[in-house]
Amino acid sequence: MSGLVGQGVARVDGRAKVTGAARYAADNEVAGVLHGFLVMSTIARGEVVEIDTGAALAHPGVVAVYTHADMPRLKLPDFPFNRRFIPMQDTRVHHHGQPVAYVLAQTLEQAQEAANLVKVRYRAEHPVARMADVLDEAFLPEKFRNRPNEAARGDAAAALEQAEVRIDQTYSSPMQHHNPIEPHTTTAVWEDGTLILYESTQGVVFARNAVAFAFGKGRESVRVISPYLGGGFGAKGPTYPHTLLTAAAAQLAGRPVKLVLSRAQMYTSNGHRAEYRHHLRLGATRQGMLTAIVDTSTAQVTRVEENIYNGSDSTLRLYACPNVHVRQLGVRLDLPTSSYMRSPETTAHFGLETAMDELSYELGIDPVELRIRNHTEVDQQSETGQAYAGKQLLECYRAAAEAFGWARRSPRPGVTRDGDEYVGWGMATETHTYGVIPSQVHLAIGPDGRATLRAATQEIGTGTYTVLTQVVAEGLGMPLGHVTTLLGDTAYPEASLSAGSSTMPSVAGPAADAARRARDAVIALAVADPRSPLLGVPAEEVVTENGHLFARGDRDRRDTYRNVVTRHGSAVEVTGRQDNTAGHSFGAVFLEVRIQPRLGRLRVTRVVTAHDLGRVLNRRTARGQVIGGVTWGIGFALMEHTMVDPNTARVVNPNLSTYLVPVCADTPSVEALFVDRSEPDGKLLGVRGFGETPGTGVPAAIGNAIYHAIGRRLRDVPFTPDKLL
Amino acid sequence: MRAFGYTVAGSPAEAVRIAASTPESTFVAGGTDLLNLMRDGAEAHDHLVDVNRLGIDGVAVDSRRLRVGGSARMRQVAEHPRVRREFPVLSEALLASASPQVRNMASIGGNLLQRTRCGYFRDAASACNKRVPGSGCPAITGHNRGHAILGGGDHCIATHPSDLAVALIALDATVHLLGPGGERAVPIADFYLLPGSTPDRETVMRPGELITWVDVPRTALAGRSRYLKLRDRATFEFAVVSVAAALRTSGRVVQDVRLAFGGVGTRPWRDTQVEAALRGRPLTGQAIAEAGRLLVRDAEPYEGNRFKVELVQRALVSILSDLGGLR
Repeated sequence: MSGLVGQGVARVDGRAKVTGAARYAADNEVAGVLHGFLVMSTIARGEVVEIDTGAALAHPGVVAVYTHADMPRLKLPDFPFNRRFIPMQDTRVHHHGQPVAYVLAQTLEQAQEAANLVKVRYRAEHPVARMADVLDEAFLPEKFRNRPNEAARGDAAAALEQAEVRIDQTYSSPMQHHNPIEPHTTTAVWEDGTLILYESTQGVVFARNAVAFAFGKGRESVRVISPYLGGGFGAKGPTYPHTLLTAAAAQLAGRPVKLVLSRAQMYTSNGHRAEYRHHLRLGATRQGMLTAIVDTSTAQVTRVEENIYNGSDSTLRLYACPNVHVRQLGVRLDLPTSSYMRSPETTAHFGLETAMDELSYELGIDPVELRIRNHTEVDQQSETGQAYAGKQLLECYRAAAEAFGWARRSPRPGVTRDGDEYVGWGMATETHTYGVIPSQVHLAIGPDGRATLRAATQEIGTGTYTVLTQVVAEGLGMPLGHVTTLLGDTAYPEASLSAGSSTMPSVAGPAADAARRARDAVIALAVADPRSPLLGVPAEEVVTENGHLFARGDRDRRDTYRNVVTRHGSAVEVTGRQDNTAGHSFGAVFLEVRIQPRLGRLRVTRVVTAHDLGRVLNRRTARGQVIGGVTWGIGFALMEHTMVDPNTARVVNPNLSTYLVPVCADTPSVEALFVDRSEPDGKLLGVRGFGETPGTGVPAAIGNAIYHAIGRRLRDVPFTPDKLL
Repeated sequence: MRAFGYTVAGSPAEAVRIAASTPESTFVAGGTDLLNLMRDGAEAHDHLVDVNRLGIDGVAVDSRRLRVGGSARMRQVAEHPRVRREFPVLSEALLASASPQVRNMASIGGNLLQRTRCGYFRDAASACNKRVPGSGCPAITGHNRGHAILGGGDHCIATHPSDLAVALIALDATVHLLGPGGERAVPIADFYLLPGSTPDRETVMRPGELITWVDVPRTALAGRSRYLKLRDRATFEFAVVSVAAALRTSGRVVQDVRLAFGGVGTRPWRDTQVEAALRGRPLTGQAIAEAGRLLVRDAEPYEGNRFKVELVQRALVSILSDLGGLR
């Protein structure tokens, strides 16, 4: 074994990405392609009465302008298509920025300008745009993806009533948008009744299934290709209408069609983090043991969709508490549906971790100590008291607190000053669930002695190409450069969606399994081959290193992958499979803020994290996830905010100039520690899902640090300067 | 964005001549704002006259003044050693603007003429009196956190976004214009208009006029100037509140002071009464507080920007305390 797994191997696709050699979805040049552009509704609720396409059709280069009257009738797919209507199937308008016409032209610029020339007449109804206006209409939505929106254990109401100490507060966060730098894009090519889609998607298999269903085709008739993503963050997990409409437009036109959404269109086309209000009540003993949690959240849903994407998973599972009642309510607004956004559980976790800090002050118990007292080694939702295998959260608290210097913290708020700045230290637990999606991979070793792994999972930007290459190279005993990983094509075996932190726990096992099978197959060929120096060596006595096969006891008896497979005369091919189970990853974040409250200025100046993610496959890409997660957490806490006009229900800031995300100067260096012990339940490699865990605690940790700095408790993100005055 | 024509002019006179004879034309320098406005449908032009090669891109300081060409880049001015030393507020205001990439491209003239960041103005599908006169102002009952508390009215409450303009107003700069009617010079304090009932008119510039030069008098006061910018993220963001200040004291007594404010007014905001209230008095916390109250005496805050009334007064205290050595 070459010990590649765990090393901070540089990205195998890094050079291609920075030199432009990597072909992203919209980079594909398809012969004869037409450029599409969507005409979006300019009302939030009502009906299309008339569409005048005359001026648009007369514009130079325009080939067609399609409306609901032209579009083929499509079947509404279930999840991953998370909308309950397909636009341009009828005249109904459900939100601002809904496609109402589809322009095709020879160039993108012609299509864009022609879209401006399409005249749409509406019958408008007054929209409801703000949760605050309709909170009394909150209701408990139906379960979504088999998860109910209400869960309880014990008798939370009674336990709260009897609790020695109570916290009763409301926390809130606004709509937020993913804003991947690469916009959503689809190029649809029909060839003899089959459809090829060059797509930017976190799930080629999901997308293929949804599109095939919508068009009433067999899955084998649709191929989705997505070798690289320029960011997804959940925005490209579900399948969205623009993909279906582009395939339909290409079908109608009888020519390939490429669509790239504009930045502004992405604010109404691909989901967002729902506006969210979180009423949390904690009951505890004087010693800080939680006795009750009553958690009632309210999120925006729509008139046609009622999916809740921000679950109170951490309320249900993170701390030992016998009495818990969670209800996830919705209120209907005339806005596009929300969806998953990195990291969905942050939304509720912000409230829980802020409430825990409030409880620590109420009790006079250090916030780390309070969490340790409520630590659990048992899955709180398991009726059989299932224990976590290898949960290292206590070690995370210890390691991060020590590296941060937490022991030097004076708990009193508002007393630590440095010049004209108040200094505050805050912490929070980090946690997120991860999913597992049954996955297979194909591995071939060719006569050139090189291995190629194929899997229909994706490189979302986290390093999937690199890590799978490491796993296969180590498993085979081959140099990294002899292994090629191919992803993002439904022509390959079905593998995991790149969402829900599921890629590595789903695919690393099958890749390791494939490497083991292929290695065994090549060794079997060698030891049975009269032309091999290894003839007759027991298979278990053969070791593989650096592309060579050796007899363990006699290293002069050696062969190579290349020679064995060449003599065999054809590639050695195997399929790797390995089931895994979903679970949780954990960690802790400690950070420092410096505030000039007179001017509302705040800087996050120091961040230390420690995470328990099972076995670390690549320290560099794992650290990349931590840096990204912390940066997202800073954005969530301090600035991200989609503004919707209260009268028109139209997004007011649909661009990166006015929708603020952190810049480098907002983001301090992050000291990222890893416990790095194999997850006993993570088959083969001891892997857990990790991507969404880092950052989950950051918004609360910042709020907690603000309280420590200036004695003011903020419960409504973003913490903009006006809230610090 | 509709197709447009493009001509590179070789001199200021030629630029003005081409613009005057080409309908629906405008000037372009760095294009960092104009092209976004055109893409977003907030502005439409059939022809652009490139003013990057007119020979008006210098930055020079002589005994009397700083002269900056209309086509000089923001970076050139910000990093000019004598600007940094003798007109620090200009350098600081420019370095607090945009990003290094934008500052490499964007011109001084374009900076002064950039359009408001009001989301309703930049969204072609929204009503906006500035973009479509008479269509209404959704900001008044909508999102107005970034909007003005001073100088607004029923028609428009959008702020002017330029940091540079705020600094130039504090230093009594003069804007030189060339147009079909010839040359003229306008004190920058008179350059920007209040929205009144015509928020689509933002400056006194006449159709076809070009900013050729900006002059800033070289004074001892200019050398004792600073810019304070408060915003929602550390860089690459417009001001929530900003203050440009220049201060000369003798002992503790204020000999002269210039103050201008960004993020709070419908135009870069100067209020000479506030300066007069400080002049000749000892610079004390109380004096500054009184000046601040005077500044916001006519403030008309809205739901989202009420905090600016307090924040701008605190910003004034902070910058004058620093300049006056009160801490």
